[in-house]
Order: sequence, then C-alpha cells, then structure tokens
Amino acid sequence: MRYGHRPMESSANQAPRRTFYPEIEPYQTGRLKVSNTHEIYWEVSGNPQGKPAVFVHGGPGGGTEPKQRRFFDPKKYRIVLFDQRGCGKSTPHASLEDNSTWHLVADMEALRSHLGIDKWQVFGGSWGSTLALAYAQTHPERVTELVLRGIFLLRKWEIDWFYQHGTSAIYPDAWEDYLAPIPENERHDMVHAYYKRLTSPDPKVQAEAAKAWSVWEGRTSCLIPNEELISKSAGDTFAIAFARIECHYFVNNGFFEPGKGLLDRVDRIRHIPGTIVQGRYDVVCPMESAWALHRAWPEADLRIAQDAGHSAFEPGILHELIEATDRYAK
Amino acid sequence: MKSLYPEIEKPNRSGMFRVSDLHQVYWEESGNPAGKPVIFVHGGPGAGTNPRQRRFFDPTKYRIVLFDQRGCGQSTPNGSLEDNTTWHLVADMEAIRTHLGIEKWQVFGGSWGSTLSLAYAQTHPERVTELVLRGIFLARKAECNWLNQGNGTSAFYPDAWEGYLGHIPETERHDLARAYYRRLTSEDPKVQADAARAWALWGAHVWTLLRDEAAIAKAHDDPTALATARIDCHYVVNGCFLESDSALLEGVKRIRHIPATIIQGRYDVGCPMENAWALHRAWPEAELKIVPDAGHSAFEPGTAHELVDATDRYAK
Repeated sequence: MRYGHRPMESSANQAPRRTFYPEIEPYQTGRLKVSNTHEIYWEVSGNPQGKPAVFVHGGPGGGTEPKQRRFFDPKKYRIVLFDQRGCGKSTPHASLEDNSTWHLVADMEALRSHLGIDKWQVFGGSWGSTLALAYAQTHPERVTELVLRGIFLLRKWEIDWFYQHGTSAIYPDAWEDYLAPIPENERHDMVHAYYKRLTSPDPKVQAEAAKAWSVWEGRTSCLIPNEELISKSAGDTFAIAFARIECHYFVNNGFFEPGKGLLDRVDRIRHIPGTIVQGRYDVVCPMESAWALHRAWPEADLRIAQDAGHSAFEPGILHELIEATDRYAK
Repeated sequence: MKSLYPEIEKPNRSGMFRVSDLHQVYWEESGNPAGKPVIFVHGGPGAGTNPRQRRFFDPTKYRIVLFDQRGCGQSTPNGSLEDNTTWHLVADMEAIRTHLGIEKWQVFGGSWGSTLSLAYAQTHPERVTELVLRGIFLARKAECNWLNQGNGTSAFYPDAWEGYLGHIPETERHDLARAYYRRLTSEDPKVQADAARAWALWGAHVWTLLRDEAAIAKAHDDPTALATARIDCHYVVNGCFLESDSALLEGVKRIRHIPATIIQGRYDVGCPMENAWALHRAWPEAELKIVPDAGHSAFEPGTAHELVDATDRYAK
C-alpha cells in the first residue's frame, strides 16, 4: 500500500479483484424536511455502532440504489445513503426549485445532525465527487476521509467535453442519437438546447428530451456498454429527474462562483485522508480532472484502473473503492 | 477468436528498390508465391515494418508483401525528409507492384497505413482488390490536434501528456507539432534525439489499451525513434500533403465499388472512432467492425481477430 505521490495503476491481469459486500437492507429509513418544498429520503444500513460513512450519489439527479450500500463492510460501517433534492425517493420529483449545490451541502449537514453523527467518511463518484468536494471544502471538520471516483470538477470544459465535443469522438454512433432531437441551428450549444426542452411546458417534449439526454450518459458510462444501465437510463421516471436536474446544474455552472471552484479551494481539505479512483477510459469524466485534482492535492492517493470507464461498478473501480473503504475502516 | 498466423522467420525474397536518385526502399515477400497478392502498409508515417506484420495473412493463400516507406525501417537514407510525401509513397507502391509483376493486390493498412492505403486506392483504384483498414486516420487538422495539440488524447493520458508538453517551452505551445518539428530538424543531434524520445514516449503510452511496459521502456532508448518522429512530424506539419482537409472523404467516390472492411477499436484514443465513423457514413458499402475492448494497436486480441477474419474471408 502506498499513499500519495506516485499514482497506482492496475488492470485485470494483476491480483484477484475485490467485489461487493453482500446485499443488505437498511435498519432505519426516513424522510427529512429540508425546506418548505423539499423532503429528502435517507436510510442507514450496516452496524449502528460502526464508523459513519455517507454515500453521495451522482447525476446530479441520479438518486441512490441498494447496490450502493455494498461498497462498505457492514460490520464496520454505519452506512448512510440519501437521495438529493428532486430525485430518487425525495420529493417533489424532478423539482428544480431551491435546488443548487449549496442547498445540497446544507442538506448533508442537516442530515448529519439529524442522525447524531459528529463526523463521517464522504464517498462519492462523478457528480458525487463534485458534491463530496464541495461539502468537504465547506465543512472540513466534519469529514474523516474522502473516497472519490470518476472525478468531475464541473469546469466549463468538462461540460463541453461530454455535451459538445470530446466523448462524441469515442462514441460517434451514440452521439447521433443525442444530437437527433436538436435542430441543426441550435447545436452550437447543446446544453441550452436541451434545457429549453427539459423545462418546456409540454410534458411530451420534456420526456423525449430527458430520454435522449439520459441514454447518452447510460451508453457511455461503462467500458463495455451495460444493457441494464442503458434501459434504466431510458426509464421515464428516472430520466426526467436525472436530465432536468443535471441540465439545471450545468447551465448554472454548478452554482460555483468564478474563482471559487473546487480546485481553488483544495487547500481547505489537504489534511483529510483522501483516495481518488479513476478509470483510464472514463469518457464521461476523463482522467484530466482526476489528474488536476491529484496535482493540486498530491497527498491524496490516486488509483488508476487502466481497464475501466466511468461507472463505479466497473470491476477495476469497484476493487479500488472497496480496498479504500476497507483501509479506512481499520 | 482468431489470432495471428504462425511466425514466418524469413521472407521468401527481399530487396532494396531504387525509387529516386536519393531513396531506396526495402521490400520483402513471404507466404505463397502463387497466392493472392496483398501489400501491408505500415503506420507512422515513419514506423517501418516488423516481421509480426506478416502474420495477419494465411501464408498458404497469400503472397504477402511488406515494404518500408521512404526514410524508415531498412529503407535509406534513414530519416530523410527530402522527396518524402504521401504522393511519393503512392508512386513507390505502384513501382513496387510493377517490379514484382503483380497486377492487382489487396491493400491492408492501419493508422497512417489506413491513410496511405486510402490515398493509394483513390489514385489507383483499378489496382486494388480489397481494402482492409484499421484505426482510421484521415489526416484532417482536427485529428492532428486531437492527438498532438491537447484536444483529446491528453484528457485520457494527462500523466504522459505532461512529458510531451513539458518538452516544449510555454511560448511555443500554441503549435506543438511545429515546435517538435523545429527540434527534430535541428542542427544539434542531442536536441533532435531528446525531441524524438519525448515524441516516442507519448506514442508508447497512448497506442495500447493497457499499459505496455516494454513499449514504454523501448521508447526511452530507441535507435529508430529519430527517423520515426522526424517523418511523422514532417507529415503532420504538412497536412500529410493532401489537397484539402476532407480529401480522403471526398475521394471515397472513386473507391466505393471496392470490397472493404474498416476495423476500429472503441477505445482508440489516438485515432478516435469519430474518424472511422465519418468514413463509414461517407462509404456505407464498406463493412465496419467495432471492437468494444480495444485501443489503437493492431495486435490487441479483438482487433487481431477482426483483421485475420477479414483477410481470411477475402482469401476465399
């Protein structure tokens, strides 16, 4: 085991890989009213006396799923999952009102207090890494460790990479279907073109745009396309929240003020033990961002899974994530 | 899954062919002397051939021709950029074909080899029985910027990119290929060698799906790196000598009738699938095979399978 400095690279032809802990049901669930509009769903599984960890899901708008409990040893961890505003089992579904990064950071603090947790491990991938970093930089004293995957720093070029040109070079076939709903004269700014449709008064227009937006991400998130993920992405209820909330955050640059982005404030968290797990062939959040974070925060342990894409469920990524939570549980 | 045919230790015959006052090119023939002729077109430009490349073809069925393009491999003078353009290479292929008494042949090439194969076929369509193309590179400006200017590949290999970028001072980074070209054509052999090493190392990281320690180690100290880098860079800064950015796509109309297979690794981050897709859209008659778990290299298992499968089918 090695911390910091030299990134570790791995691929399938090395050592047997770790996989999920067994399926588990929560021992406690609830809903927390976080504003006049919003109620968020939360759940706790594992060991009630264990080390607290909060799982921060992606999207934004992706919601949690039971599999995500299984990144943590249930004997050692008190595992908290919650659905961010407007998605999963949180209500109102797909609402964009009072829905920003800083509302979600405050919700995490409210949930932590509500559960009587003093400090917790913060674990998140993709947008979950963005929110985990924003939370940790705001409340560093509440974070024992950070486990981050598929790093997304929500800079303009990262959004352009996925929605304008970048990923399209690797998935030109799937890209055609993402382009299709948008007429040529609006294609110079795909995110805004989608935003217009995703906030249309016509539910049919919204639904069609949501599906195309969401399926684009579903088709590009795994090294080898995963049909289960693609069909989940196409589901009406999932897609409408996922697409609306993601697009809302992206047209607003993640609600980060200029000069106060996640790389600008790394100094606030450099003392916190951190692991960064990145798939080399992540075409959604390419490794450039993990590398920029590594350069800004050399103390964090960077793990590169050479034969992996974006998803947390890629074998090489899953291995590194579970290794990380295990190390931190010791 | 198909894999490469057995090693062929020695070609049946080989030689040096004088193609100009200055240049001589190395050629070789293996397999069945009475078999179906095929020419293997190597990449780079400037990479030269290696014996493994004989193994994409059934030696009982094919008459397998390999040649080293001007200035590289065993061709001489090594590393020369004089009279070294796409159109010289196209003419050399014709000269070799005539020299060997071949009327028509299959043209097989990947990466820059796909570029040159297309340029050759579009110039001499009547000489081509089939085209087998891999890791498509159409030599458009955007493709060169994707690989060499930080517009794409660097996002996947930011670690290796630091070395490639770091070799050039900030004031010259707006055009990295040209900055490398200045060094690769410097009077000072050490400046040349250092630039060639940085250029080769960048390639050694990005051309395979999984990390290839041997290729990376070799790039640190490779006697052939200078010729390869000089020729590669010379072609890049000259737009590969094509008359327009979309010349090879426009030229598809001249080869549409030729049976063809396009093989592309999904995770080719150097010559991304966008290129193969553009060719496929321009040329829907050609068969497109996407290998889901492969990068750029011809030798990755899924890609080698598709290549051998294509040559097998065309041999029937």
